[in-house]
Amino acid sequence: MSGLLAFLADHTIRNVVAGATLLGVVSGVLGSFAVLRRQSLLGDTLSHAALPGICLGFLIAGTRDLPSILAGALATSVLAALAMLALTRWSRLKTDAGLGISLSVFFALGVVLLTYIQGTGAAGQGGLDSFLFGQAAAMLRSDLWIMAGLTGFSVLLVAALWKEFKLVAFDPVFAATLGLPVAVLEATLTAAIALAVVVGLQMVGVVLMAAMVIAPAVAARQWTKRLGPMVMLAAAFGMASGVAGALASAGARGLATGPLIVLAASAIVLVSILLAPGRGVLWGALRRRRDRRALGESQVLATLHALTTHHGDPDYLSEQGMIDTYHGLATRGTLARLRAGGWVRAVRHLPHEGRHWELTPAGRERARRILADPRAEAGTEPGIDRDGGGA
Amino acid sequence: MTAPHPGAPETAVHVEDLTVGYLGRPVLWDIDLDVPSGVMAAVVGPNGAGKSTLIKTILGLVKPTAGHVAIHGAPYRRQRRRVAYVPQRSSVDWDFPTTALDVVTMGRYGHLGWLRRPGRDERERAARALEEVGMAGLADRQISQLSGGQQQRVFLARALVQEAEVYLLDEPMAGVDATTERAIVALLHRLRDAGRTVVAVHHDLHTVQEYFDWMAILNVRVVAQGPVAQVYTRENLRKAYGGQVSLLPHGTGER
Repeated sequence: MSGLLAFLADHTIRNVVAGATLLGVVSGVLGSFAVLRRQSLLGDTLSHAALPGICLGFLIAGTRDLPSILAGALATSVLAALAMLALTRWSRLKTDAGLGISLSVFFALGVVLLTYIQGTGAAGQGGLDSFLFGQAAAMLRSDLWIMAGLTGFSVLLVAALWKEFKLVAFDPVFAATLGLPVAVLEATLTAAIALAVVVGLQMVGVVLMAAMVIAPAVAARQWTKRLGPMVMLAAAFGMASGVAGALASAGARGLATGPLIVLAASAIVLVSILLAPGRGVLWGALRRRRDRRALGESQVLATLHALTTHHGDPDYLSEQGMIDTYHGLATRGTLARLRAGGWVRAVRHLPHEGRHWELTPAGRERARRILADPRAEAGTEPGIDRDGGGA
Repeated sequence: MTAPHPGAPETAVHVEDLTVGYLGRPVLWDIDLDVPSGVMAAVVGPNGAGKSTLIKTILGLVKPTAGHVAIHGAPYRRQRRRVAYVPQRSSVDWDFPTTALDVVTMGRYGHLGWLRRPGRDERERAARALEEVGMAGLADRQISQLSGGQQQRVFLARALVQEAEVYLLDEPMAGVDATTERAIVALLHRLRDAGRTVVAVHHDLHTVQEYFDWMAILNVRVVAQGPVAQVYTRENLRKAYGGQVSLLPHGTGER
């Protein structure tokens, strides 16, 4: 513990951890809206399009001055978003194609500018390519203030326009009928995502920043069914991956912080997709297995009941092999579970014959219920609506 | 009912000389429409007749090439609070992380204005509206777990809390079962009986006479409009749907 405290006392590490925390919050909050509006790739375009802005900011300031660089990054990011919107509005291109074109044009421009600057041999240009993959250790205390300011502004913006952003994300057409300026709100959201990208540039770099916009939001979506908790959870996941990545890189000498943060976020996504209750893959597999077993039990009970009725003898003993033949597959496992539940009894009919089964009174009752309404047994499961429409 | 003067206040929806084009082709051509106040009106017509476009143009969602629209005598942007809209169910992503009650509450956002959050009053109104559409027990249900008919009723409840005078609905009975359809119709009748105006895009010609008292038949142009008793004729329907329709206006069940 004292080791960790000493660790945290280190100025650089403290800066990096604080920066990663800010980055996690802002990208989690705004990424949630990007993901829900099906614009996950927007983050990718915005971050790649920041590169020419970074170079232009450097050229105009003549030095590696962070405010000018970030202002340039913001400007070209927003320009790329507008280009994408214009492409999709006035041509027949779909959004994904518009995003792709916008991304590649702006990024190519950025790389050209970057190599041009490197060719001039200008002073301090050496640090410029660190914006490609991020260089957290180069971060200064003053940079932190800029990040904190941008993060605070974005979070306040989302808080103030919460219900408007929610409605625009869910049902923009209805929002327009209420008189909301939908285009302005969507542009504001996009610009705010560009701000988040700018916050992360120094830390994660233009290439991997998209992951920070998408990953925390996607992970958070798995765990909750309300927008408020989703946004907060996304911020928390973003923060956690930021801190984890920063500490891991401080602990393991020479490993880059940005990629480690992205890997931490990806790990959270993986766990969420697998394990989240309700939406998780494993959860779904378990539920399917449970459903299959429940249905199998219902059907075997119904079969036993039918055999009994058919023979006109309530105490009729059904032979194992006969039940298997009826179902076309082995029913031994299902019958064992039914016996454990007290629905059937195993009886030995004659010494030289195989195992026979009969319904217990409870089993007979349950079989009658199933035959009266096959859905009665499934009614407790969410997602199965019994008075529903015709979808 | 005598024909009201165009644009007079007793005309709920007044559409004049409306033309809407898309990619150089007219979707609506020179539409003149006067829906009187307090009727339950159907907008019918074949696919591509421009029914949804008409509703969207009335709401200002689609810019017309020519013509104008008035709601109770004034442009829509000045009458927003007097109009409620029920879009097609398929127009949104039902996997959005929210509950039925929350979606209904969105109907109050127009009344709330900027910066104000929905509070107890809005939630109570929303709960009452859900009760009215028969979904009181499903308020906290995640919307992706609602059936198609329930989703449609959530949208109706959202329109109810708008407390409007004119209700514009885009295919409210599409893809719902018979029980839900009857519940929706009963609700719309209650609205009309309370003096509101209901305008619904409708696709099932066999139920027009039973459900509606006013109708407009559309096929890019207005083929006919007026009380159902006068307009629902074999000749009018043939003009809109063409000869391929073996329609029997007296509804002997043949499609």
